[in-house]
Amino acid sequence: MNKKSLIEFQEGEKVKINCVECGLGFKKRLGELGLYDGSELEIIKNDGSGPVIVKILDSKIALGRGEIAKIYGRKI
Amino acid sequence: MGVKYSINIGLIGNPNVGKSTLFNALTGSHQHVGNWPGKTIEKKEGEFIFQDKKIRLVDLPGCYSLTAYTEEEAVTFEFIQNEKPDTIIQIIDAQNLERNLFLTIQLIELGAPLVLALNMADLAEKEGIKINVQELALLLNVPVVVIDAKTKKGIDSLMRASFKQALSKNVCRPAKLTYGRDINDELNKISSFLNNQKDLAQKEIDWTAIKLLEGDWRAVKNIRKKSYFPELKDLVRQSIARLGTVFNKNINTILANTRYGFIRGLCQDAVIRKKVSAHKKWSEKFDNIVMNKFAGLPIFLFVAWIIFQITFKVSEPLTGLLEKLFIFLGDKASFFLAAAGMPDWSISLIVDGIIGGVGGVLVFIPIIGILFFLIALLEDTGYMARVAYIMDKLMHRIGLHGKAFIPLILGFGCNVPGIMATRTLRTKKDRLLTILISPFISCGARLPVYALFTAVFFSAYQGWVIFSLYLLGIILAIAMGLIFKKIFFKKLSSPFVIELPPYRLPSLQGLLIHVWENLWSFIKKAGTIILVFSIIIWFIASVPFGVAYGSQDSLAGKMGQTISPVFKPLGFDNWQSSVALLFGFVAKEVVVGTFGTLYNVDDIESEEGESFLGNALQNDFTPLSSYAFMVFVLLYVPCVAVLAVVKRETNSWKWPLFMVGYTTTIAWVMAFIIYQGGKLIGFQ
Repeated sequence: MNKKSLIEFQEGEKVKINCVECGLGFKKRLGELGLYDGSELEIIKNDGSGPVIVKILDSKIALGRGEIAKIYGRKI
Repeated sequence: MGVKYSINIGLIGNPNVGKSTLFNALTGSHQHVGNWPGKTIEKKEGEFIFQDKKIRLVDLPGCYSLTAYTEEEAVTFEFIQNEKPDTIIQIIDAQNLERNLFLTIQLIELGAPLVLALNMADLAEKEGIKINVQELALLLNVPVVVIDAKTKKGIDSLMRASFKQALSKNVCRPAKLTYGRDINDELNKISSFLNNQKDLAQKEIDWTAIKLLEGDWRAVKNIRKKSYFPELKDLVRQSIARLGTVFNKNINTILANTRYGFIRGLCQDAVIRKKVSAHKKWSEKFDNIVMNKFAGLPIFLFVAWIIFQITFKVSEPLTGLLEKLFIFLGDKASFFLAAAGMPDWSISLIVDGIIGGVGGVLVFIPIIGILFFLIALLEDTGYMARVAYIMDKLMHRIGLHGKAFIPLILGFGCNVPGIMATRTLRTKKDRLLTILISPFISCGARLPVYALFTAVFFSAYQGWVIFSLYLLGIILAIAMGLIFKKIFFKKLSSPFVIELPPYRLPSLQGLLIHVWENLWSFIKKAGTIILVFSIIIWFIASVPFGVAYGSQDSLAGKMGQTISPVFKPLGFDNWQSSVALLFGFVAKEVVVGTFGTLYNVDDIESEEGESFLGNALQNDFTPLSSYAFMVFVLLYVPCVAVLAVVKRETNSWKWPLFMVGYTTTIAWVMAFIIYQGGKLIGFQ
């Protein structure tokens, strides 16, 4: 499966999530914000350190690097 | 003496949708804040009259869904289940429709008596998003009312719709979300099983079946004890396993996919999108600057500096005025009471104890009020979320959450608003950790002590010595943060996830109400405790009656003499220091004044007063012991107001008491190290 951690994507790239590897609780949390296996997002800001900002549905969400590393997807 | 309400309404919605604005618009000043039983989240309730009917409105904490992952969501879910409100108004942000509808779907599945209030439609239109309200209402089978919480537009229609919803006896079945054949099959299996038990109502069965499939055990607490539960659990487990094989995905992912799929389809019918407008581009540019890798932090530090300047420059004259007012009141009261022939001790009680005590509380108001206003301004415009993003990088390394930065910075002015500001942190653990290390952030009230002693003993290096104290405080705060993390909060800290809401202009009324709420709760809680302790201190300083206030012969003096041996290894075992430290428990500002009183200096503000006090201090302290003393003052127990606020925010006396213990212990140990260590090295 073509699977790359979201942390490796650059600003401006559009990604379709195909895997979320984390505990159930946090997975639900991500899910209710719109981040789940099958959803599409855009990387807004990834500076190489500090939280990453993504655009999902119509809103911007900032996620810690540890958290976003657990989300995988492929470029679209 | 219960008030009879016509209807009870619950207000629900995602964070940042304007829920508070609507709540304030409806209830005005008729609201009060309490606590949800057993939880640290505040419960906001209000009442208002509409068409001659009295309405009780409960503001539920902002949440994204009903699966109880956080305390906020648990509180919301339990409220709906247990208190069964007549109507639930969900506020929806037109700029974020799809995500907001995720909560709507769950409320519909729960069978809640729902009315949707569509807010910020005008802002959405500026971004090219136009929502067909009738279509939306039709597809969801739920009434939708367009409102503007800031201008109160549409409120009447909203209330009429809410009444209609509350009074409609037959629960109109809202659109039933179909999960596709496979999931529906499993849901039907579970529903039939529950149906056969003839235990629950139909509505509850549907909802329970979905929650069981989701694995949300908290939502089905009420059936856990039933005899059929073990069999039910097996059935559910099989269903989940079967679905996992069919879809090759986790059940929650499947459900989220289905829900959002439904929402997407719905929005395609009900929402028209145009090209991104100029407005959006402007806020994007702003964000690029404000969150820039290099410029972001300096920009924020500048903003923080401005906030500090405004707060302290503006509050100073106000505080001065209040202080003068209380001195005036005190003088007049003494005069009149004496003229009325009241006994001396009672005059002293009223003037020194009560007026002095109450004054001690009210003196905080200008600072807290202004600080809170500015912080609320930053929060409601959406800038605060950007700050949390900027600071998280640094805070993360010391084990703290990015949002903990603001509360800690506030502590440099006064720990009280700092601790109250920890409410912006999402989890109890983060809040508690931040609160526990906040006392080491040296507050403004301790500064006069440093100023006094450095002037007497380190006059050439005043600035540097004071800076070293602040630095020591910060280092210890970080160290304690890391230690507490290891001991108490072994589990990983809450994940860093925050929404960056679009920039918005907050309503002035909303801001002022928000500030007033916080101010009033501070006055009520902290005020009573400070008053009580002020009277206790007064009492200790006045008995046995007839002695000079706070002199060596008073109870306070005797207590000072008894305690002072404890400070011998630290270098300051004179009884005056012990008394001053004791009084400092109530308020740190009092320490300097107490020294003045105890050394019989009439007016510390005057030049001769200063030099007189300086000489007196030089007799009892050495430079080394004065530094040890200042370190002790830096670190030891926070003032009573802080303890009162900590009690309020953590809902227990355990933590304030713990704070008293551990800060004083560390203060003693550090002062000991400094004094004894200094002597060893050869300082005097």
